Amino acid sequence: MSRRGPIREVRLWDPLLRGFHWLLAFFVIAAWCLGQFGPAKMTLHFWCGYVVAGLLIFRLVWGFVGPPPARFAHFVRGPGAVARYMRSMFLPEPSHWPGHNPLGALSVIVMLAVLAAQVTTGLISDPDDYINVGPLASYVSSATRSKAVGWHNLGASIILILVLLHVAAVLFYRFWKREDLVSPMINGRKAIREE
Amino acid sequence: MRLILIAAALAAVPLASFAQDDPAKQAVKARQGFYQMLAINMGTLAGMAKGDIAYDEAAASRAAANIEALTQYDMPALFIEGSSSADTEGTAAKPDIWTNSEDFQAKFAGLGEAASGASEAVKGGQGNIGPVVGKLGAACKACHDSYREKS
Repeated sequence: MSRRGPIREVRLWDPLLRGFHWLLAFFVIAAWCLGQFGPAKMTLHFWCGYVVAGLLIFRLVWGFVGPPPARFAHFVRGPGAVARYMRSMFLPEPSHWPGHNPLGALSVIVMLAVLAAQVTTGLISDPDDYINVGPLASYVSSATRSKAVGWHNLGASIILILVLLHVAAVLFYRFWKREDLVSPMINGRKAIREE
Repeated sequence: MRLILIAAALAAVPLASFAQDDPAKQAVKARQGFYQMLAINMGTLAGMAKGDIAYDEAAASRAAANIEALTQYDMPALFIEGSSSADTEGTAAKPDIWTNSEDFQAKFAGLGEAASGASEAVKGGQGNIGPVVGKLGAACKACHDSYREKS
């Protein structure tokens, strides 16, 4: 690792990004639970989906015009950087990484992409129950709108795995690497090491 | 030459009718016809509930009466052995229907309950259709969630 500079605390995550993160977490979990256990008429699940869609659009825009730590160009790295990061990842010491590390960046991109796909398949789903038909289902073929239900179900399982992986990673950093990633996402401040 | 062709064509007849007589295939066809009839009438009611189709009391009541009648048919009997998605092409009927057949019957009975009285309930204004569609749709969903193959 070439990061050998001094450690200092900076304002890393801007308020909008933090708001985005927690709203996304809330509405994804709400949508997921409503989908699995909610009432037969899924009006609330639909609204959660619309909010998630709005949040994803915000994140996409913010990834280009937001502060540097929020920008895709700033944190999306090639496989070489990911491999280099993974080599030191299991050291029981804080990463002091100034933002999304190269592996975390991959997880960010995968999560955003899967959620975008999930919103899309939800919008075009027709489960043949006449009460939970996606608002854009009539714009696709009947074969597509019934297949979309299957994709939407598969998406729910993938999202569950991704969320559990995300929480597991946070716990791994907290208890193995002794680095708190939750507080920075709440107050924006994180101890980082400059290059 | 002609004779040979005719003979070959005639010889193929029993084969073709054998395929059509496959009880599992026939059961699947009958089930899908049943659901298609259900779908046409549900489409009328759902369309009126959403306002895509102008409310017509007589047409709504007729569609609802059709659904009531359909749900009185002994449809679960069409789920004969060997006609699940694991055994037959072109069906979304999960094998769970056969392993949980009591629950499957109960879910179909639930559709019957949701439909009962529908032909009267949809009369008296467009606003009365929504709750009926809601009840029927919930019964559709309950069964699809457990027993219909997801794509």
